[in-house]
Amino acid sequence: MTRISRLTMTALLSSTMLAAGITAATAATHPETGEELAADQTFTYRLLDDISSLDPQIVEDVDGSAVSRDLFEGLMNQDEQGNLEPGVATSYDVSDDKLTYTFHLRDTAVWSNGDPVTAGDFVFAWRRAVDPATASPYQWFMELMSINNAKAIVAGEKSPEELGVKAIDDHTFEVTLSQPLPYFVQMTTHSTTFPAPQKVVEEFGDAWTKPENIVSNGAYVLTEYRPGERIVRERNEKYWDNEHTILDKTVALVITDENVALTRYLAGELDRTDVPAGQFPRLKKEHPEEAISFPRLCNYYYTFNLSDSGPEAFKDPKVRQALSLAVDRDIIANNVKAGGEPPAYSFTPEAVAGFTPPQSEMASMTQAERDEKAKELLAEAGYGPENPLSFDVIYNTSEAHEKIAVVMTQMWKQKLGVQANLANMEWKVFLDTRGQQDFDLARGAWCGDYNEASTFLDLLQSDSGYNDGKYANAEYDKLLAEAKTAEDTTPLYTAAEEIIATDMPVIPIYHYAGVYMMDSDVGNWPTENVEQNWYSRNLYKLAE
Amino acid sequence: MLTYVIRRLLVAIPTILLLVVASFLMMHVAPGGPFTSERPLPPEVLANINAQYGLDQPLWKQLWDYFYNIVAHFDFGPSFVQKDRSVNDIIAQGFPISLTYGSLAFLAASIVGVGLGIAAAIRHNTWIDYFAVSLGIAAQALPNFIMGPILILTFTLWLGLLPGGGWNGGQWQYLIMPVIALSTSYMGSIARITRSSMLEVLNSNFIRTARAKGLSHKAIVWRHALKPTLLPVISYLGPVFVYVLTGSVFVDLYFSTGGLGQSYVSSALTRDYAVLLGVTILYGALTVIVNLLTDLAYAWFDPKIRY
Amino acid sequence: MFGKSEKAAELAADITDFKAVRGRSLFRDAMGRFLRNKAAMASVFVLALIVAFVVIGPLFAVWDNEEIDWARMGDILAQGAPSIETGHFFGLDELGRDLFSRTIQATQTSLLVGLIGAAMALLVGTAWGVIAGFYGGRLDSVMMRIVDILLAIPLTLILILILVVAGRNFVTLFIALGAVSWLTMARIVRGQTLALKTREFIEAARAGGVSEGAIIFRHILPNLIGVVIVYASLLVPEMILAESFISFLGLGISEPMTSLGRLIAEGAGTMGYGTLWQLLFPLFFYVTIIITMFFIGDGLRDALDPKDR
Repeated sequence: MTRISRLTMTALLSSTMLAAGITAATAATHPETGEELAADQTFTYRLLDDISSLDPQIVEDVDGSAVSRDLFEGLMNQDEQGNLEPGVATSYDVSDDKLTYTFHLRDTAVWSNGDPVTAGDFVFAWRRAVDPATASPYQWFMELMSINNAKAIVAGEKSPEELGVKAIDDHTFEVTLSQPLPYFVQMTTHSTTFPAPQKVVEEFGDAWTKPENIVSNGAYVLTEYRPGERIVRERNEKYWDNEHTILDKTVALVITDENVALTRYLAGELDRTDVPAGQFPRLKKEHPEEAISFPRLCNYYYTFNLSDSGPEAFKDPKVRQALSLAVDRDIIANNVKAGGEPPAYSFTPEAVAGFTPPQSEMASMTQAERDEKAKELLAEAGYGPENPLSFDVIYNTSEAHEKIAVVMTQMWKQKLGVQANLANMEWKVFLDTRGQQDFDLARGAWCGDYNEASTFLDLLQSDSGYNDGKYANAEYDKLLAEAKTAEDTTPLYTAAEEIIATDMPVIPIYHYAGVYMMDSDVGNWPTENVEQNWYSRNLYKLAE
Repeated sequence: MLTYVIRRLLVAIPTILLLVVASFLMMHVAPGGPFTSERPLPPEVLANINAQYGLDQPLWKQLWDYFYNIVAHFDFGPSFVQKDRSVNDIIAQGFPISLTYGSLAFLAASIVGVGLGIAAAIRHNTWIDYFAVSLGIAAQALPNFIMGPILILTFTLWLGLLPGGGWNGGQWQYLIMPVIALSTSYMGSIARITRSSMLEVLNSNFIRTARAKGLSHKAIVWRHALKPTLLPVISYLGPVFVYVLTGSVFVDLYFSTGGLGQSYVSSALTRDYAVLLGVTILYGALTVIVNLLTDLAYAWFDPKIRY
Repeated sequence: MFGKSEKAAELAADITDFKAVRGRSLFRDAMGRFLRNKAAMASVFVLALIVAFVVIGPLFAVWDNEEIDWARMGDILAQGAPSIETGHFFGLDELGRDLFSRTIQATQTSLLVGLIGAAMALLVGTAWGVIAGFYGGRLDSVMMRIVDILLAIPLTLILILILVVAGRNFVTLFIALGAVSWLTMARIVRGQTLALKTREFIEAARAGGVSEGAIIFRHILPNLIGVVIVYASLLVPEMILAESFISFLGLGISEPMTSLGRLIAEGAGTMGYGTLWQLLFPLFFYVTIIITMFFIGDGLRDALDPKDR
């Protein structure tokens, strides 16, 4: 064959293939909604940073977990609203004493190398997660799940084989708990509990997550991983529910600078990116279809150091009240963040399921009234022009945190004459300083691990590891303890929030919103899943 | 000559050792460790992880093990933060990228800079000269990191000509912006040195003699003036090569190239000791070698110097 | 960066030919040469204007550098542009603070960083170089070997490391910048001292029983002034450039203080959003300072170097 004719052949071939592709694509509509689907089912989104690991038992970051959810599938999944739906397990039984859970696994689930997914893979994975030799930073998660012996194994007192998990047969997985746990099944949607392919892990050891070795059981398989640049996952043809998967490919691009990410979004390189603080109103005006904002399960606050090393002034609740009152949350929410974040008057976000914030006095006042009250309280506490209050505010280096810290301290300075000195610290230094109570007032933020108020309220429990302000109130602790076993937890959580509103150990500033630029051709992004646990297989791309 | 090279390389070993020990100690003095996190790990979990990574050992032992593994197995240890990857992996993946765009930026800066400088000197006090001088000064005075967003806005958003970032195995479209961003400021300085060096040479006695002998202007410039002109340029190029590699963090940040520059900065921030030390050793060794090559090149160009 | 620039390298090379000990008259000649250098004199004039602006500017400022303009902060793009009416001559930054006052404060910081950073290098480098050169022998070889070792280290790395380990304030910044920039200075000074040491007037002073300390202070140091000043003037813009790189990495000084490098980094981030003044004003001052310092440095070097360039 001559060179020319070969070229013609290729051209002919590819054009016929192209034509075939187009006809197939134009015919494609969404099976449920009937919307017309795009020919190219690729979703591209921005990652702030590289992920911590591809290994489901080891991954610890939010973005890494999203990758893990696509590549692996655990016993249970979440749907678009965050409700449980079957994953590898089709159903489960609970014993009467609520200590034994028996999961029935579907027999159609296979690994991407064709091996069946068995109960043994779960047993292997869960033992792996608690095994000190794995050094998973999420060992505590298995302890929190109250699996029998998990604590002792992590502490090195028992061997991983003694974990309370058992493969009754290939498709029956049994877990024994050390105490009843109402939200145990919810926890099986977390990546730490995903199965691991025993043969592959044993064959390759630490290298099993390399793209050429990895075997997974989720709706997607890893096809390309270039650290610091991109992660590509593509449809797993062997996935048991493959026929319902619409999206063919998901590409995550690592773009550290949020402004550059936005530029690249506007240039059409991305389907989703984060909106830099303050840019949402303008983008909403210019791209009303694409700028979206929805509530999330995270809070943003400042914590007073109430320990012995904290300043004397903060021991007086009046001072804490005054400082909290004087922070104009509307300005921070509307002018600084400007992404639709709700101003916070309670510690727990209102979006949390089964939580009703108390009728707080502060929320109902106007800002002018609050400022007035703040001045009164501060004067009562003995601070004023002749005895000015002064303290340090620490936050970690980041433009967004800095803006809020600057605005807040200016509010105090102008309204109350309080001198708050800013100190920004690099992240690790900040954590260390805050953890050692070497501060006056420190920034804090928390995203809920599950959709329940205790994930937030537990932080202020007197013995919580995260209670960096060392707030201690026996009544508060008692309410939370009661809530662990109570039938109706809502009034207890409301009462706990009332205590916070009076004692004011923290200054809640705002609650997070998911603020994205999302291409309007992305279908079914789970905005109602407040934990933002999304799965590529639920997304699709619409024809433009 | 050979003994000189060997001696220089021998001196390099304690230099790099010192650098590693100093970096190691500074990292351990800094507050926070690789596993300090927003959610403080329960003590038993932290103990397990520390044991796994050998961080429960006394400092001298950690340092000893570190060097031992390098010498015995050429193993620079695991990353504490990117848990799937070893330092060897990270360097093997990131260094070729940094080296590629760094070398291209270096070449671009040298060729354009020297060309501009020579053009300016030959056409002394003409518009070419003024243009080259202002361009050189402007390029040098602008902080090089602002080139990142400017290029992306122009070429990706407004003109839609180039992808806004990524590496893609070093395809040319992905290389253009990193190379321009990284080379501009060095191009400016190289142009300025070349110009002033050439002017000096053209005014020197031997060129005057050559001119008096009636040699053509072209012959004078290319045959006689070029080599001495390049002497000071060469001594400057060595450090430039080191800077384009070690100072390239902004390229990785803006263009998502996945190079080593960002690995170094982020490893310092996340206390990823092993990555930090690995990159330090690599860059230290590179600096030593480049300095040596610069000196050898200088000797080759300047017959007065002999080692 | 950090004292290894082309000019420093040239200077180091030139300085070895530096034979004559300049007397008063030579120093006066140099002054004359400098005064006749048009580019350098124009630069001195422009720099003086900037310094004057930094000193007098605050008198005209309507807002101080920390104060937030609450009424306008919500819509910077529409209401934050430079304007005489609002009193924000340079416009507002992203948070609604007056860029005029912030630019003044930032310029102060950057000038201070340049001067003090260079001064640190000057002090350490001179002391190191004089001691090594004057006492010579084993001390000299040990001290210069240390310098050689440090010179072989990628200094950007060290700078980042120092700033990560230590906190964020002026003192650490100056120390960090000084720590990485004194090496070339030490080399130059040592070379000079070695040359001076063997000269007749030093021999004479020695023979006359003048103490070593007195020789260093009365005879060596005064003869080093020229070289040291030239080199320090070359260091100033390098320090300012280095500081801007540090600020870009987020390792610079802490709010409410700011520097030109920081303002530029912030402005560069938002330049796609139509608030270009946030980049251009600080950038103008920054570039002007750097360029004038280049020319002043060149002028000083040419003036003190008899070779005609």
